Amino acid sequence: MPLAAQAPPTPSFLQAILAIVWKDLRAEFRSFELVSSMLVFSLLVILIFNFALELDIKTRQTVTAGVLWSTFAFAGTLGLNRSMSIEKDRGCLDGLLLAPVDRSAIYFGKFISNLAFMLLVEAFVLPIYSLLYNTNLFQPGLLVVILLGSIGYTAVGTLLAAMSVQTRTRDVLLPILLFPVAFSVLLAAVKASGGFLSNSELTEILLPINLLIAYDVIFIAVAFMVFDIVVEE
Amino acid sequence: MFFQEPTPDTSGYMIAGYVVAFVVMAVYVASLYLRNRNLNRDLAMLEEMDKSVIKVEPEQLKKKPVKSVTKPRRKNSLNGK
Amino acid sequence: MQSKPVALKILDIISILVLGIAAYLALVIAPTELVMGDVQRVFYFHVGTAWTALLGFIFSAVLSVIYLVTKDLKWDRIQVAAIEVSLVFFLITIVLGSIWARPAWNTWWTWDPRLTTAAITELIYVAYFMLRQGIDDPDRRARFGAVYALLGGISAPITFFAIRLFRTIHPVVIGGSNMEAEGSFSMTPDMLSVFFFALFAFTIIFIDLFWNRIRLGNLQEQVEQLKLKVVG
Repeated sequence: MPLAAQAPPTPSFLQAILAIVWKDLRAEFRSFELVSSMLVFSLLVILIFNFALELDIKTRQTVTAGVLWSTFAFAGTLGLNRSMSIEKDRGCLDGLLLAPVDRSAIYFGKFISNLAFMLLVEAFVLPIYSLLYNTNLFQPGLLVVILLGSIGYTAVGTLLAAMSVQTRTRDVLLPILLFPVAFSVLLAAVKASGGFLSNSELTEILLPINLLIAYDVIFIAVAFMVFDIVVEE
Repeated sequence: MFFQEPTPDTSGYMIAGYVVAFVVMAVYVASLYLRNRNLNRDLAMLEEMDKSVIKVEPEQLKKKPVKSVTKPRRKNSLNGK
Repeated sequence: MQSKPVALKILDIISILVLGIAAYLALVIAPTELVMGDVQRVFYFHVGTAWTALLGFIFSAVLSVIYLVTKDLKWDRIQVAAIEVSLVFFLITIVLGSIWARPAWNTWWTWDPRLTTAAITELIYVAYFMLRQGIDDPDRRARFGAVYALLGGISAPITFFAIRLFRTIHPVVIGGSNMEAEGSFSMTPDMLSVFFFALFAFTIIFIDLFWNRIRLGNLQEQVEQLKLKVVG
């Protein structure tokens, strides 16, 4: 039998993904630097919106969806940037690329860990916002929308962050690249969130939700196919 | 039909629109032309340098003003990575 | 650099002619619209540039795929040309749309979904150039540019359809159930022929500018290569 039998078994696709996710989560739980900065940033953004928009009770109803998603979008950008920068600066990305794993596994791993961080921050922001403004944001419909929207946003964001971190302009470039492309996710998410918050007819809300799902599917597929090209040397 | 308002005079806006369209196109064509001209100049200069690379004359090199738009970032030794 | 091919020189002249004719048709020959008056005439140029720009953007997404498959930098240069010209045309579209909006809807801009989508689409392609600006390695620049143009090309129609589903005050002149949208008008046969000529004219002009821009890109490449040889 050839000497190849001595090489360690190549991890399966799923194992690779889980390994990357676990690595990111463990690193984060040690320092909490990512989630804490995203969280503090979110709270500050909400504060700024409070001054900027004069959120009295009436305005609040119409504007909450927008404020929430703006906050999530900005905080998300922060997280994506940081997450990829850490990867690049510590040489982890190169290490991962050398490993005998499918490049798209790296994409899914990063995507899931970025998503986890974003959802974690959102989980903190929602109760705080609810308390500050006396609105109940814990409606199941809204939570579903937040999940779907975050998925779409992170799917594209992970890919674009992988690109922007390799350019000269780095952090600054990600929002410029991301916001126009993620616009329809944010639009649909705001419409759907607004719908749930104002207790609109379900039939009205289904439209943006379908759009969200379609977007998620399309962009995860495209990002996963194209990630290889973006990280190759 | 008898109570219909007369057609408003919006010709000012029409003129503004057409002016914008023509100006933007003209500016773009001009930019194409200028870039083309600059590149051709660079090309001529580089071709001359290429020819005279065997017999380098310092005065000749100093005389030519370096007006090229692109920055010489290709040298690997200067870049960090 | 080889001198301009005769075909291109002829195309240049044709483009100028055709632009002039289109302007004349739109400004003089076309009938005045009843409700909003002369400003409606910008519509011919507005849609002419819009159509060609959007096709240009879609074409650039196709070019992305071609480049990523062939890895031939020629396609990258063609893509840059397509996006640059489309960007300029679409800018004209947006500004003309705004100028039309002022007397028609009494506002320079409205955050109506279709206009917002137009602004977003324009920004996608501005971002394309900013992305390229930040990369020195030509191969990486081409790769990233292709990927982003592909993403942008996919997201733009999605955004457009997302918008179509929500209410709009943007006039739906060609097909669409909401004829109540302010600023809508139905075209008389005279208008239609001017309209189609304008579309044709802008297609010609687009191809002309596009071809010229590709040649510029090739010249740029030539200069870069020579620079590397002589100085680098």
